[in-house]
Amino acid sequence: MKKVLAIALSLTLSLTLSMGFCFLGNAPAQAQSMTEAEVSDITAQWKGSAHALADVNCSSCHQDSETKAFVGKPDNESCQSCHEAETDTFLLGKHGIRRLEGQSPLTPAKARLPMKAEAHGQQMNCNACHNVHSVDTYQASVDSCLTCHNDEHSLNYKNSKHSQLFLAEGNLARPSNASVTCATCHLPREASESGSNALVNHNNTYTLKPRDRMASDVCMNCHGMEYAFNSIFDNELVKSNFAQPPEMHLKSFDMVRVLQQKREGN
Amino acid sequence: MASRSSKLRGIKSLINIKTIIGGAVVFLLVWLIATMAMGSEQKTIFLPGVTSQGHFGFEANCSSCHEGFKKVSNENCSRCHEAELTEDKHGEKKFRDIRWAEDLEKLDALTCTTCHNEHVQMYGRGVHLQPDLCMACHQGIIEGEMTSHDGFTADGCWTAGCHNYHDHRSISTGFLYDNLDQPPMLPVQAVPEIVVEAQLETPPSPDLKSEFLGGGT
Repeated sequence: MKKVLAIALSLTLSLTLSMGFCFLGNAPAQAQSMTEAEVSDITAQWKGSAHALADVNCSSCHQDSETKAFVGKPDNESCQSCHEAETDTFLLGKHGIRRLEGQSPLTPAKARLPMKAEAHGQQMNCNACHNVHSVDTYQASVDSCLTCHNDEHSLNYKNSKHSQLFLAEGNLARPSNASVTCATCHLPREASESGSNALVNHNNTYTLKPRDRMASDVCMNCHGMEYAFNSIFDNELVKSNFAQPPEMHLKSFDMVRVLQQKREGN
Repeated sequence: MASRSSKLRGIKSLINIKTIIGGAVVFLLVWLIATMAMGSEQKTIFLPGVTSQGHFGFEANCSSCHEGFKKVSNENCSRCHEAELTEDKHGEKKFRDIRWAEDLEKLDALTCTTCHNEHVQMYGRGVHLQPDLCMACHQGIIEGEMTSHDGFTADGCWTAGCHNYHDHRSISTGFLYDNLDQPPMLPVQAVPEIVVEAQLETPPSPDLKSEFLGGGT
């Protein structure tokens, strides 16, 4: 009888603990009712957006295409129905991988890099970075990143020459092909093979390592190879967000130059 | 009085060592089973060590990489790493060539987990083998086969940033050769352009409104 009692006690205790852990942090998102003013504000943002001119209306995202039921907070799947490549690549990067693996979205609180404390609860969805109503990728290309990222490289961006180029353009609907934003390097534009519009690779991890991938795929759109490699392999320069021209000189280039002289000598 | 002391004796005998051990075992078992069944975040208690920089974000989801207790398969890795392996210099194509096929006996280079284990000490880029792993096949390069590499250390091939095992496209001798002596700023400085073409001249009327005022799901 006593043993039964002890077993029953352990059972209850362990189940309660497990259940408690399980429900922590998994509370479903509450739908919010909006005021008239909020709806008109959002409608105005949408009217000036590329979505509106592409005939993407409220119901395109806020209504289930089959059941016609209203959807208050559309999820990534809604964006994916048109932006497939962007969503697919997002899901492979660090920002999106938890969703691909059936877990709750990543939040900055889970990151190993320094993140801003006030952003710790922000869930990484499409609309964490994109204002989906104004469809303004100008904001998504720098300001959205800096709402969470708090490491030296990120914080030094605003003092960099790259940032000056971007600011000189003024507020466009999207960064031009001459500006350098966080996204230019970390969510790089890739020319498509079919020659149609460039794809923005939303796998934010892809160009990080090996570093020569960043150099060739991104830096070398504008910079010569030696300048690019000597910069990207210099940890201090990366930290300062490329505050000055590189002073490092990789030995590999000398070796290739010797080879070049040999071949040309022959 | 009598009934109180017999109650106390009852409680004391309940807290004997066997009951404690039995209770603890049942507690642990039920907790583990419940944790497994619920598929929740606390599965991290099963992790045998620190997860790598690239994978820690979803480390609680064992089934992302593990199918039961089977060995982690290449197919599983390529679910996510296909793009990194599109031009794999040490891929199947290489070892189908009879010149290199025997090298697989030195290092099972066609199995991802040979070099990329998980939950163990890493030496960068998710590699758990000692950084001199290239020497399994390329020892000769630093021992006289290639004058330019004489005296190089055995662990520097990739840790110094000179060579990549998988993707050579942007670091091979050919690539460096072709792009030497470029100016710091290229004549044309531009990333690919994105053009968004409007289908309508003016925005349409919004087709939902009252729904937003009522909330919804």
